[in-house]
Parts: sequence; C-alpha cells; structure tokens
Amino acid sequence: MSNTIPTPEGTRDRLFGECQERRCVQEALLQLFRCRGFHEVRTPEVEFYDLFLRSGNPLPQEQLLKIVDRGGRIMVMRPDCTTPIARVVAAKLKNLPSPQRLYYDQTVFRSGKEHRGGRSEIAQCGVELLGAQGLRADAEVLALAADSLRGAGLERFHIELGHVGLFHDLARALQLSQEDTETIRCLIEGKNFAALADFLAPYVDTEPGKALDRLPYLFGGVEVLDEAERLFSGSPSIAYLRQLYAVLETAGYGADLRFDLGLVHQIDYYTGVVFRGYAVGAADAVLSGGRYDGLLAAFGPDMPATGFAVDVDAVAGCLPAAELPQAELLIHYDPACLSRALAALDLATPGTAQLSPCDTLEKSRELAWAKGARTLLIFDGNGERREAL
Amino acid sequence: MTQKRLRIALTKGRLQDHTVELFERMGLDCTPIRHPGRRLVHSIPNYPLDAVLAKAPDVITYVEHGVCDLGVVGKDTILEQGRSFYEVLDLGFGRCRFALAVREGSDFYGTYKTRRIATKYPNVTRNFFEEKGMDVSIIKIEGSVELAPILDLADGIVDIVETGATLRENGLVPIEDVAAVSARLIVNTASMKLYKEDILRLIEGCKANLEG
Repeated sequence: MSNTIPTPEGTRDRLFGECQERRCVQEALLQLFRCRGFHEVRTPEVEFYDLFLRSGNPLPQEQLLKIVDRGGRIMVMRPDCTTPIARVVAAKLKNLPSPQRLYYDQTVFRSGKEHRGGRSEIAQCGVELLGAQGLRADAEVLALAADSLRGAGLERFHIELGHVGLFHDLARALQLSQEDTETIRCLIEGKNFAALADFLAPYVDTEPGKALDRLPYLFGGVEVLDEAERLFSGSPSIAYLRQLYAVLETAGYGADLRFDLGLVHQIDYYTGVVFRGYAVGAADAVLSGGRYDGLLAAFGPDMPATGFAVDVDAVAGCLPAAELPQAELLIHYDPACLSRALAALDLATPGTAQLSPCDTLEKSRELAWAKGARTLLIFDGNGERREAL
Repeated sequence: MTQKRLRIALTKGRLQDHTVELFERMGLDCTPIRHPGRRLVHSIPNYPLDAVLAKAPDVITYVEHGVCDLGVVGKDTILEQGRSFYEVLDLGFGRCRFALAVREGSDFYGTYKTRRIATKYPNVTRNFFEEKGMDVSIIKIEGSVELAPILDLADGIVDIVETGATLRENGLVPIEDVAAVSARLIVNTASMKLYKEDILRLIEGCKANLEG
C-alpha cells in the first residue's frame, strides 16, 4: 500500500523554480501597484456564501468550494477578490475621502470540472479604483493594466477593450425581449457567427440588427471603431472608446491596445468599459477587468468602481522558466567555529552555499559530492581552508 | 509577420471524412490526413495548417487548453462538455437527431414514478429534464444505450439517432427531440485574438465551401 496522499483535484504543490516564477511576477506587479498609489488589502480566505449572492453576480453554485461553520452557516472559499473588497469598502472605508486605490495579492478558489486540467486555486494580483469615474479613471486603470503585463516580463501581449453600453443600446433599439437579448448575447459572446446571423435574420434590414450581426467580428485594431461607427452612428459607447483610445495612444499605449466590441460577458455586472489581456503562450485571458459601478451599491455606498485582476500563474507560464542557483559551496565546520561559518555562508550568492551537518570531513566530502558542490570550505582548529572537489 | 501555422483537431471517424472533403473543396491538399501512416500530426503541404485526429471530447479539451487553435466536433459533445471557446460555424454535416426514445407503446410521461433514463450524455439529459421541471434518475451507460430499456434498467434513453433503425429493431421509438446536432467549428478564445486574420481566413474558406 502506498503511503502518499495526493493533493485534491485542481491543486498542486509548487517547488523551487515554480515558486520563484510566481513570486517574480507578483513582486513586479505589487511594486508597480504601490508606485501608482495603491494600498494593499487582505480579506479572509473564507466568507459567507450570502456575500456573493448579494453581489448579484455569483458564480454557479457548483463552482464554489463550500464549508459549513459551527453555526450551520454556509461559507465559501473566496471565489473572487472584488466582492469581498466591496464589502470592506462599505463597512470600513466609506467615510474616507474618495477615490480609494486598493490592491490585493490573494488566491481565489473555484471548483472546476473533474479531470479537465483546470485549477481550483488561482493566484490573482489586482487593483480596484473606487469612487472615481470618467475618462481619467478609466485611462489610469488601463495604462496600469498594460504596464502590469509589460512589467511582469511579457513582450507579446495586448489589452482588448470593449464597452457593454454598445450591446445595451443595440438591444434596446431593436426592442428585444429579455429572453432574445440573452440568446443574442450568448451567441455574440461565443462568436457563434452563423447561428447569430440566423437568429437576427428578421432584423437584418435595420441598422441595429446589422450592427449586432457584425458585433462578434468587430475585434482587432482601432479600425474596428471606424466600422462600428459606420454601422451604428451615434453610439456614445463607441465615442467614449475612441476618446479613451486617443488619451492612451498619446500616452504611448497605442500598440498595446486592441478592441473587441463583442466582449459582452457578465453584462449585468459590468457597466462600462470592459477589458481583457491576452498573451502569446496563454490559452485564455491572463488579465480581466472593467467598470462595475453597480456593485458597491449592493453593500451600501453608491460608488463608481473599476479594476482588474491578473492571473499570476498564467502570466508566469508565458515567461521563460526560472533558473535556480546551483549548489557550489559546502561549509564543513567545527561547532566552535559556527559564527565564522555563518559569516562565510551569508557572503556567498544566495542559494549557492550551505552548511554541512556532518561531524567528519569524510562525510562532508560525500555530501558535497551528492549535492554537486564543487568546493568544500572548512573551518576547524587548523583555521580556514578550501578544498576543490 | 510570418503567417501563423494553425493547428486543428478533427473528430475521428465520420466527421473527419466530411472535414477532409470540405478542406479538399477549399483546395487544401489532405493527402497526409488520408494516408496518415504512423504520424499523429498531419501537416497540410499547401496551407499553413496542421491537423491532429482525436476522439470528440478530446477535441474540446485540446482547444480549451489552447494546444489546438481550432477543432471540428459534434454539437452533442459540446452540449455535454460545456464550453469555454468560440463556436464559430455550423458545418452542416454530421447532422443527426438527439432524441429521447422510449419503449414502443409505453406512456413515458403518464406516471408519477420517477423515470430512469440511460444515456451517454448525463449533462444534456439533466438539463433537458430540468427545463421541463421533471425529476429523473440518470444512469450513465458507456456502450449500447438501447440495451438498458430492454434489460429494464431504464424507462427511456437520450441518445443520438442516425437512422432510427437500431431503435426500431429494439422496440424503441423516439418521442422528443432534445437538440439538433451537427458538426461545429470551434476556436480557442486566445488564438482568435492573437491570430485573427489567419483564423478568419480559414473560417471564411470553410463557410464559402459548405454544402447545401
């Protein structure tokens, strides 16, 4: 019988280089967040299930990892970072002057399907800019999103922008029922080109009908805004995206930005600009965010808000593997010489030297050999000497 | 920028044959897929496309993980597995009925007893009966589902119906359609964004050469 116990599905141990790769990305992101005036918050790993119901945008129940507390109340392992932060702001920060700039470095927990290679633990670093709206706030957060991915070390990435207002305007112009609106939204979100065209056939002679039909194709460079304007003049959302793009282009972010006007996910949650980051090497978005002006009101203060989260491991997966320091030096010492041995250890390049716990020189030589260290440093009654192996 | 060599996963069997015919109408040289030998990745010589052959659920897995940019898979598998990819085109072939079939002469709905359904598609079956607000007990069967009602393990089955001949021979009749099934072209979400031109060109090529 085997004595090993496996880790639960979707979780895994991270060793050495894997930790370093994650930590490098986290440190780059957090440093940047601090530079931009954001302050760290940390919320509990578990929250009451009710909290996420209240947010109006709960994940499907089967994706939440649940625990029952001693009083019989249902708790969940935090499935997203933004909802708990909205709770904190409503409870503790509402009287502080706006805007509030918060960042987090936390894990979210989601229970995926079995044997699909998904992850239950997702390390996220992200920001929330609360109590600010308009062009400056959106531009600040988008610039930070692009700088985050660049700062983490990605070279081939882009941030893709959409605006939920466009879809709302088009659906309203066609006076669609709630059910049809949802069907069309799903077809656009899934870029289900052909099925969408069939569904929209009765409306295809109208301007908004044509525009909805083209919506899933409207992704790419800034030229998609031109086409969107031709298709549906007078949408304030497109005008706003153009204005935002102009600001960011002037600031040097033009090459980082693209558009996907078919970005219509979680449309009841997001209220304005939405965006996602894609990188060569990742099978899904590595960054996701947007404006969600309605969420805070669910917890009390009616505050505009925007933010994003970076999937740390997805970013790390696009970067070259970390190089770990190699063992070079083993220090054999007489207990009386501990302080000199420690001093020598602290002077070496971190990770390349270690103390030998062996009591004879012979055993220390064997250990050095096993560890691949090429030098043995000896401190004993005869002083200090080096042995090349 | 050089053109990206796309990778597509094709569902082995009937859908693979239809896809190869479609590709050949588009002018792609599919000799490597027709004569695979021992190779597992088949490079199209006159188009920047590599094909791999896989079982239907694996096609979805490969596309979701982004190791294949595109895939051809039946709607039945998509409904069963759920999706986080773009389903861009109904390819029109591989059309069949996805139906609820019961023993001939039995009154499936005319009882308060919880019905037992045998199926290879437990998720599709659960969703179908949930929509109806009906509790059923679902039994997952891997092989010939038709056997379950004969052995009195189930009151009905939810399965793909191609000609209906197998059902008839076993005394079953389809009484309700669950969904319309045909082959779909699916695309990984990140690939779509990163290689837009290449992928749209392939989609348009497929679309222009669909039959019927």
